[in-house]
Amino acid sequence: MKASAPIGIARARGGRALALGWLAAVAALAALGPLLPLAYAPAQPDLAHLATPPLAAGSAHWLGTDPSGRDVLAEMIFGARTAVGISLGAAVLATALGALLGGAAGFWRNHGWRVPWPAWAAALGAGWWALALPGAPAALVGAGLGLAGTLLGGPRWGRRWPVPLDAGVLGATALLGAVPRLVLVVALAGTLPLTPGGLLAVLVLTAWPGPARLVRAAMLRVTAQPFVAAARALGLPAGRVWWRQALPHACLPLRTAFPLSLASLLALESTLSFLGIGLPPEVPSWGHLLGTARTEPTAWWLVAAPGGALLFTILALQYLGRARGPGPAK
Amino acid sequence: MDHAGGRRPVAVGNGIFRRAGRAALAVWALASLLFLLSRWAPTSDAALGLTEPTEMQATAAETPGAHQLAQRAARQRLGLDVPLFYFSRPVAGPGQRPGWHWNGPRNQYHRWLGALLRGDLGTSFRDGQPVAARLATALLYTLPLTGTAAVLALAVALALAAGLARGPWWRRPALAALAGLQALPLFVLATGLLLLLANPDALNWFPTYEQAGAEDGLVALGACLLPLACLVLGAVPELALQLEASLAHEMRADYAVTARAKGLSVRRVVRRHALRNALLPVLPLVVDLLPALVAGAVVVETIFSLPGMGRLLAEAAATRDYPVLVGGVLLVGAARLLALLLADAGARWLDPRVS
Repeated sequence: MKASAPIGIARARGGRALALGWLAAVAALAALGPLLPLAYAPAQPDLAHLATPPLAAGSAHWLGTDPSGRDVLAEMIFGARTAVGISLGAAVLATALGALLGGAAGFWRNHGWRVPWPAWAAALGAGWWALALPGAPAALVGAGLGLAGTLLGGPRWGRRWPVPLDAGVLGATALLGAVPRLVLVVALAGTLPLTPGGLLAVLVLTAWPGPARLVRAAMLRVTAQPFVAAARALGLPAGRVWWRQALPHACLPLRTAFPLSLASLLALESTLSFLGIGLPPEVPSWGHLLGTARTEPTAWWLVAAPGGALLFTILALQYLGRARGPGPAK
Repeated sequence: MDHAGGRRPVAVGNGIFRRAGRAALAVWALASLLFLLSRWAPTSDAALGLTEPTEMQATAAETPGAHQLAQRAARQRLGLDVPLFYFSRPVAGPGQRPGWHWNGPRNQYHRWLGALLRGDLGTSFRDGQPVAARLATALLYTLPLTGTAAVLALAVALALAAGLARGPWWRRPALAALAGLQALPLFVLATGLLLLLANPDALNWFPTYEQAGAEDGLVALGACLLPLACLVLGAVPELALQLEASLAHEMRADYAVTARAKGLSVRRVVRRHALRNALLPVLPLVVDLLPALVAGAVVVETIFSLPGMGRLLAEAAATRDYPVLVGGVLLVGAARLLALLLADAGARWLDPRVS
């Protein structure tokens, strides 16, 4: 309980309401962006006003313009759309993927999920045929026989070989954790051509190991609980025990981890845009707006607006994550 | 070490070798994956270093044949004319069924791996320089920067946590400031500092590398102060907050209460009793400190235009210079391996019973 003390603001009354209010405001701006009566459209250079300070005489740019004449207010609002769309989407997808993989790995481990050998034969034959390795027709026949054996013989047939789920998931997390996330994302972004969808995929690919490790560790504790043993003793199928009984409990730590993971993804996405590696420059983004300040060193408003928005959003998310957590935040 | 027993050190050794081996395997697999992914995509003219903007347009306009020839020559020079992997699936003719073709060791991956084992990281697509030489030049800037930043960040975090453990009046504001600093992305922090302190129009206390000129050694050293401060400020909050929480936990333990009860000052209890134990749970963060600082260097070096490792990586990603990119990833992975070994030594020093 003491651990929520690190944030002084946390103890202030209404901190939670403040954080939720800010996040709701950002989300509302993102959702309503196209409907707002903005004086200028995003990504439209106004060549008469280059790098104008906010509220300057004779210009309707309330928050000023960047060095190529784009309206900061419009870029901020449409940048919120990008931030919410990409960061929130990536966080939700990565958390869901991590929870499923980590939950499965923690529940079945390396020996829990056993598959009868005809099913292995069917999968092997199908794979062989799909890859068009030599002797593909024979493999197809083998796959058919294996499938028939699985369906007819069912569980009675002979040996069952385990699927090493845990080793697979842990190996994948170790692989993705070998270098820092920013370096990995930069390397991947240099390798693959990046569209917004591609960036989302790269972020999800690099972000799922965190929740997966968390849920796996929680699942190891949950499977030792009596209620899971009771559910098994009732004769429920393992998949049902996993989905209905064990997984909801193992996912509890995610309530704390999700806001923190969203905050780190938001920082990562804006860092990429700032470096000019992530999204194409015509997509409005807070990070990209901050990046334009480098060419115009006197333009404090180019740092203050997006930097402040980023800071408050990340602070709010971190506060929500910490305030709920029972232990020290990870 | 005397109460560690006769068997323990062996077990420790095995454990660290297994973990280091696993980490090395992960780095190799990741680099292989990146290599194969990057070569899988068709390489454009720009990536081959063919598009020198002015020269290229002239030649291409004159003779398409000559352009094709130049392209083929470039592919041959860079070793892109042989198959990618040990086996491949050639494009089938109209009546043919697609099948697999065994290429033997005459493939790009085999050559890359062989050269890697000999310590040759290949040549850059952009300028034809050896990647190892480019990485070495970049490391000359980055290693002192990140090394100093790591040592400074650790020292500052330790001092802060030890100070906060005494519960001074500035504890609450300091924790709030640390949390705020932690929330600030590094690039926002660096841009803010740059515009505030290295700006001819505001305060020009720390002129940047470009403004100062590289030939003046002392000024160039001064230009490194601001990037250093950014890296330290970026790394300190998380370390200090975790260390403070860990230390607070230790100070509530029975042995610390006993030490206080027999009349030792808080400062003495922290330094002689609690700090060692409090450091153990923070050790994973310390392991990640060096690689994390390299990642931070990507941002900081780009902003302050320092010719280091991070900027090299960012530029290689922007220009799709794959050999440099893969080499950089290998190097960062190696740094993490080194940090792992150091942390193991640190864990044994902190707690001789560790296994």
